[in-house]
Order: sequence, then C-alpha cells, then structure tokens
Amino acid sequence: METTQRRWRKVAYGGMQPGFDDNHTDDTFLQEMVMNANVVKRDMLKVMLDSVSISQYLCIVALVVLVWAHTLNSTITENFLIILDITLVGSGFFILLLTAKMLSFKLLLSYAIKISFFTTGLYVLSPIYHTLTRSISSDSIWALTTSLVILHLFLHNYSGSTIKAPGALENPNLTSNISLNASIVASLLIASRLPSRLLVFAIILFSLQVFLFAPLVTYCLKKYSFRLHLMFSFVLMAITLTCVYRLHKLLFVVLLGLLVFVNLVCPYWLIRIQEYKFEINGPWDEAKLCFNITD
Amino acid sequence: MEFKEGKHSILMVSDFFYPNFGGVENHIYLLSQCLLKLGHKVVVMTHAYANRSGVRYMTNGLKVYYAPWKPFLMQNTLPTFYGTLPIIRTILIREKISLVHGHQAFSTLCHEALMHARTMGYKVIFTDHSLYGFSDIGSIHMNKVLQFTLADVSQAICVSHTSKENTVLRSGLPPEKVFVIPNAVDTTMFKPAPERLSMDPIVIVVISRLVYRKGADLLVEVIPEVCHLYPNVRFIIGGDGPKRVRLEEMREKHSLQDRVDMLGAVPHAKVRSVLNSGHIFLNSSLTEAFCIAILEAASCGLLTVSTRVGGVPEVLPDDMIVLAKPDPSDMVHAIKKAIRILPHIDPQEMHRRMKEMYSWHDVAKRTEIVYDRALRCSNQSLLERLPRYLTCGAWAGKLFCLVMIIDFILWRLLQLWQPDSEVEPVPDFKRTELKTEVRK
Repeated sequence: METTQRRWRKVAYGGMQPGFDDNHTDDTFLQEMVMNANVVKRDMLKVMLDSVSISQYLCIVALVVLVWAHTLNSTITENFLIILDITLVGSGFFILLLTAKMLSFKLLLSYAIKISFFTTGLYVLSPIYHTLTRSISSDSIWALTTSLVILHLFLHNYSGSTIKAPGALENPNLTSNISLNASIVASLLIASRLPSRLLVFAIILFSLQVFLFAPLVTYCLKKYSFRLHLMFSFVLMAITLTCVYRLHKLLFVVLLGLLVFVNLVCPYWLIRIQEYKFEINGPWDEAKLCFNITD
Repeated sequence: MEFKEGKHSILMVSDFFYPNFGGVENHIYLLSQCLLKLGHKVVVMTHAYANRSGVRYMTNGLKVYYAPWKPFLMQNTLPTFYGTLPIIRTILIREKISLVHGHQAFSTLCHEALMHARTMGYKVIFTDHSLYGFSDIGSIHMNKVLQFTLADVSQAICVSHTSKENTVLRSGLPPEKVFVIPNAVDTTMFKPAPERLSMDPIVIVVISRLVYRKGADLLVEVIPEVCHLYPNVRFIIGGDGPKRVRLEEMREKHSLQDRVDMLGAVPHAKVRSVLNSGHIFLNSSLTEAFCIAILEAASCGLLTVSTRVGGVPEVLPDDMIVLAKPDPSDMVHAIKKAIRILPHIDPQEMHRRMKEMYSWHDVAKRTEIVYDRALRCSNQSLLERLPRYLTCGAWAGKLFCLVMIIDFILWRLLQLWQPDSEVEPVPDFKRTELKTEVRK
C-alpha cells in the first residue's frame, strides 16, 4: 500500500488522479496569471499638457464657427475673407517649410499647382453651392450644422492628422474619415445660406483650408517644438475666448467650461480611475502573431 | 424525481448538436451514450436544423428534442429571455428530469434553459468548452452573461485545468465548484493502419478549419520552409475556410503542387483514413481549451507537433507530442525534432497507451460523481437565491435580480394557466438491461 501520496499534476490524461478529487484546487492555481502587465503609470502634468492639443483644436473649430456667424450677420465682408484665405495659405506654407523636414521645392511646386486647381474648381462650382439649400428652412440648417460640428469634434483624430505629410506610414481609420466628411458637409451647408457667390466661394475655401490642413500644420508644429506649440495654443485660446465673449455671453461661458473640463477635470478623473484598471493575462490568451499578414 | 435508485434523469441542452459535427456536438453525443450505458436517462434539447424539427431518437434510445426555433447567428437561437420558458417547462415535467446540464458558454439556448431550470427549482450543471479573453467588447459581454448564469449554478465542469482558471476568472465562481473532466476520444474508431507506413516520403497531416483562430497563417509561413529543408516531406491539408485562398496562393508561389495536397472539407467519417495516411500531425491553433484533434491523431498513432497554447500542454504526455511557440521558426524547429524522433515511434504502442489514458466511459463516471454532488445541494427559494445575483455588479446585479423575479412570476402564471398535473409525463420504456462493458 502506498504510504506517500502522489503529487497532483496539471495534466488531463490518465483519468482521475488517485487521492485527488476532480475539483481539487492546487496551490499552483492561477500561478501563471499576470496582472496589469501593460499598464502605464501616468503623470498628472504630462496628461494636462497633452490635453492642450485637444483644447487647441476646440478653439480652432470655435474660431471657424465665429467666422461663419459673423459672415452670416454680414459683419465680415468678402474682401476681408479673401485676404484671410490668402493669409492662411501663406502662413500655413510658411510653418510647414520651417518645421517639416521632408519638403522640397519640387514638392511645393506640385502642391501649389494642386491648390490652384482646387481653388479654381471651387470658384466654378460656387454657384451650385449658393442655391444648394434654398428649399430647406433655416432651422433645419442650423440644427444639422450643429450636429455635424459636434459629430466632427467627437470622432476627430486628436493624436495625429487625417491628411498625412508625405512619407507617413499609417492609414487613416474610419472615424477620422467620418469626422472630416462631417466638417466638410457642415461648411457647405453654412455656405449655402450666404447672399453672394463670392462670399460662398470665400467661406468654403476658408473652412476647407482650416478643416483639411489645420491638423497637419499643428501636428508639424508640435513635433518641431513643444514650447512653441504650447505658446501657440494659449494665444489661440485667449483670442478665441475674447472673440466669443464679444459675440455672445452664454456661449463664452460654455466654451470656458468646456476648456476647463478638458484641461483640468478630465486628466484628474483619468488618473483617479486608473487604479481600477485590472488587466489579466495568462496561458489562456489567444496567441498573437509576431509577423504581419501580407495578402 | 429519480428514475431508479441512484440513477438520474438528465437533460442536456445546447445549440450545438447533431447534425452538425464539432467538439461540443461529439462531446454531448458520446457522453450521453455512455451515461445511457450506465443506466441513467438522458434527453437532449437543441434547436431545429433546416427541416429537422420535432422529436427524434438516436442510438440506444437517446431522445432528442429539436425545438422549433431556427438559428439566427452562428448556430445560436434568437435570445428572447422568456420565450423558451413554456417549452422547457413542458420538457422538464414530461420527462421527469432531475438535472439540467448545459454546454458551451456561446450557446444562448443553454443560458436560457439554465435560467428557467433554476427558477423552477431544478439542479443545474454547466460545462464550458472554450477559452475567452477579457479585453475585447465581445468577450466582455459574454463574460457578463456567463457571470449571470454561473451565479446560481450547482456545479460547473471544465475540460482542462487552464480552462478552469479561465472560467473561474471570468465568472467569479469559487474554484471548488469547478470540476475538471477532460474530453476523450473513441479509440475503437480511431485505430492506426494495420501496416506501418514507409518512412519515405514523410507525410505531415493537418486537419482543421482554415480560419485565423486555428493558425492558418502560421501554416502559410511554416510549410514552404519545411518543404525547402526536407525534400522528402509531403503535406496533406484537410479542411476548408476563409484562409484556404492564402494556402492555395502559397502553394502556387513556391510551386509545391506535388508536395502539398489540399483535400477540402473532410467529412467526419473519413478523418480516420486521412490520419492513417500520415506520420506526423501538425496543429497550429492560436487558442485551444482542449484539442480533440490531437487525441484523434495520437489514437491513430501519429506523432503530434502543436503550438503551446491554452490547454494543449496538458493533453498528451511529453513523449507523444512536440510543443512549440506560435512562431514560424520555432515551429519549424519542432517539426525537425519530430522528424528526428519519428523512427522511434510505434503507432500500435501509442494507440494502446491512448486506450488507457482516455475513455468516454471514464468521463461518464466522473460526470456521474458531479451529478451526485449537485443533487446533494440544498433547495433554495427565490429569496435565498437573489443575493447571489447581486454580487454580479453594481448595476448588473440589480438588473439580473429583476430578470429572475420576472421569470419567477411568468412561471407561476404558466402554472396557473396549465398546471403541472395536466402535463402528461412520458411513460418509461422498459429497456432490456444493457450489458455493461467491462473496461480493461
């Protein structure tokens, strides 16, 4: 008769192990479980500084909406808008030249040609946009525009830019494409409410410039120098808040609240709830392929 | 409510059963057959397949209820919460069931049946056949549903120790409630070829569904490498799936048409002959709770090369399997080692050892112990059971309690409308005592 009991083994073959029930839970149970292997410890200051890029984009969109509001009120003239467009293109190119390393003269020339084609096309199509929503009531347009702008802000890709600098590796994903399309449709809807064709052309050009290229420009600026990026963001926030204050007091309060929420409340909240993070890994995980599947 | 002294009446519930073939389906069928041989009464309930609906009888009087619900997504019935209550109640009363045994966490019919069985006071057992993750959205929902079902289960069964760890983490069950009873293989059906195959060419067999989960992409990387290193090695690939196209492309690209045979989907009856034409069985799955394919291959005398994932390391002793990381270079290394030790393998000896290590009769006996344990659990009223659901989560707990209370009310209403005494019980057929097989 066996006096020493055999050790329990973690095997499935051989039937019931003698001396042990099937529900025997050994000391080695869950020994190979690994908890929170990939969790990054976050620092409050760094998270707040990173959230500045979100509020910077919020201010850019707020400025665009401001320009729309003023144009609809006829506070801004066409000439002012055209000058604004040209200034934006110039300064955008200037910043890109300074910061991006991969631009050459030939590339700039091809960009200039593409932009002139684009602008001419827009000018030719502006009569169509002018009468696009004539049969729709104003309330529907304002409601639709507001929802599209909110959708755009929700789905926007804040970590990079949808329009990539040449040589970028990642492809844009579905949500960033949807947000870009939403912003373009919103600007077209607003443009269709304006009285003259030149205004329509100018406002569409302005909106598209900002929505398509502002993320790229700010991304290049951020990569070049973080301090410059921070300074630019704070100046932008100050300008936006003053302009919104002059327009409408309630909207100013909303924007201020939103900026405080994004910059101060959210980082604190994120770090507070990180302690509940419980990531479990173990031998039951599906294996990850270490190579890329090329079709 | 017991059929004979010490014998139980068991209802097996799952969405997965014959005429589909698969791990869970075979498990339920073979376990039921062995339980019938032990003298218990077994009834199976599943959903209707194509035009197969109603009551059917299978071998040895196994009664199968194909409830008239059509599958709506991946072989699962539409989850209607309370829609299945009347039919399950009728089956439980008619067949004088004492225990309900549900299979597979992915089966909606199983969850609903277990919920209704608990409401009506029956003892309930759950068997989990797969591993699930924790981080993707599908798994999170599945785990919540599992938590609900297992909050009030009498006992649970898992097919491997890794699966037990996974189930305990996902559902929060105390580990003492979970029994580990592995699957087995029908060694009378999977026998090696009577004559040993010649060693030239060495044939490596792969039989699996060609999907991402089963590691078809690893095969695409491994096969050309092995064919390049060993000119006398051939591959036979059985099975079909979305990744078949990639394998065909690999074949074309490396001109391996004469060295790699693609057989397409292999019907279950032909698996043995395919296995008998090879020396080595290659399994490249990325996740497995318990791989029955490996058992079938070992029973036919093939040496197995597999990825070290999930419950695979527990399945065979170290001299019958070569394990590798799920990485192409490591798998090629493992195949090299397998080819080197192949001359020392004796298929008949391997088959004899498999007969001793795995048998469905043993599985049935161990399951019987679980049933006895489950029936000894105390009966609890609704109020005593509700606190168990509250532990499932701050919001979820209260929602689950509500679901169970409504289920209870619906059951009482059903009892008023059609009392238990009005349901005709099925007469017990006097079967001639089956000769119990003397195993070894």
